[in-house]
Amino acid sequence: MNKQPELVKLIDTTLCTACRGCQVACKQWNELPGFRTKQLGTYQNPPDLQWNTWTLIRFQEYEDKAGNFQWIFRKDGCMHCTDAACVKVCPSGALFYTEFGTVGLKEDLCIGCKNCVAACPFEVPRYNGEKDRITKCDLCHTRLQAGRQPACVLSCPTGALTIGRKDMMLKAAEKRVKELGGDANVYGDKFVGGTHVLYVLSEKPEVYDALPKSPSVPLSILVWRDFLKPVSLLAAGGILVGSFLHYLIKGPKLPYDDAGTGKKEGGE
Amino acid sequence: MKPGMIQATDAFERIVHWVMAISCIILFVTGLGMMFHSLNFIGTMTGGLKSLKFIHNWTALVFGFSLIFAISMWWKEAGVIEIPEDLEWVKCAGGYLWHVEHPPESGKYNPGQKMFFIAVALCGPLMVVTGLLMMFQILPMGLTRWMYTLHAVGFVTLFAFFFVHVYLGTIGNPGSFQAMTTGWVTRGWARKQHPKWIREMEEHGTLVVYGEEKKPSAHGHG
Repeated sequence: MNKQPELVKLIDTTLCTACRGCQVACKQWNELPGFRTKQLGTYQNPPDLQWNTWTLIRFQEYEDKAGNFQWIFRKDGCMHCTDAACVKVCPSGALFYTEFGTVGLKEDLCIGCKNCVAACPFEVPRYNGEKDRITKCDLCHTRLQAGRQPACVLSCPTGALTIGRKDMMLKAAEKRVKELGGDANVYGDKFVGGTHVLYVLSEKPEVYDALPKSPSVPLSILVWRDFLKPVSLLAAGGILVGSFLHYLIKGPKLPYDDAGTGKKEGGE
Repeated sequence: MKPGMIQATDAFERIVHWVMAISCIILFVTGLGMMFHSLNFIGTMTGGLKSLKFIHNWTALVFGFSLIFAISMWWKEAGVIEIPEDLEWVKCAGGYLWHVEHPPESGKYNPGQKMFFIAVALCGPLMVVTGLLMMFQILPMGLTRWMYTLHAVGFVTLFAFFFVHVYLGTIGNPGSFQAMTTGWVTRGWARKQHPKWIREMEEHGTLVVYGEEKKPSAHGHG
């Protein structure tokens, strides 16, 4: 599978001007409809990721301890985990690891069970009730296969979005963080096996809206998939073998002779 | 049915039992098809995994209803543990596992059967509730995730108990299966398996014997 080099998309939030070109390009390439939304007093629109919005610029007004005001822009979307909770819980194989290490989605295989909606630590997959399917960013898998950049990366006018080989992007991210200094950090390489979407953040991760500080495959999901799942078969198998042995060794519990006086007829 | 046989269950009990049993098996099979990729072929047989999901969700409705009847009609007989006699029975495993000279006499349901009933009465509603909350994710995601874990806990319990129940209800205890088919059991079976039950019915005059004129027993659902 892994003949292709692992690809990583780098999002340098410090270069983002929130033009939302990526948001539009994503909709255009993936033919996602737009729905009427409400003005909620922010440029962030729609307010959250939806089944028809796979990437979204989050607008956030932030004042640090020194009283410096900052307008933070963060492009939200699938992080393409190496150890992806959604792939772990998907019953049909609709969610899968691509040859680039990203997480793809075969929409026609999706049965709309919403396991992934609950499992994803980033709350990325969204449910489309009309089609009874989930949707999410697949990092333009077909474009990658054709040797092209994802639509969002192509559309970015400032260079905030770039894509390339994992090792090179990691190096570039670390270099950029060094340049920025202060609280700047690389987000994505330290958990869930390393994500295939990396952020260069200017502030600590906990500052950002809707960004988990240290995401992981949830414990409940691990207990379910890695423990209870095998245990269910082991327990039932044990009972079957045990019953068979019981029948051979101890034997069935036979009833008394109907007509008789109540004397035992063997068995217990 | 031969003259002299004893009525163990009425038709309503047997219908509820089999509706629950069949729906439960369908839920097992469809659930397993979605749980293991290697069993996805079960979905192929029903026309795709998506159909399997629908069968699973709608069968759960049938299971849920049968559960309501099962719990309300059996809990008095099978849901109440009596101390100390039931404890004595558990201590010697009812004589099922090793040789016991005189295992404590059982009433209509022995403590093993009671444990099975209680497991179903607890895990059954758990499955329905967690399943609904997995479908309709109205809880915060952090809690919704645990619904999957609990659904799996219920499955582990019910799946294991299912095979115990099948073994003990058929070849493990010859004569028992008829209690859930015709509803009539032999007197010898009843004396062996549930001596206290038959004694109590004789005392109360509620024993229904095949071929004898007597008013129907007052047991069962009320």
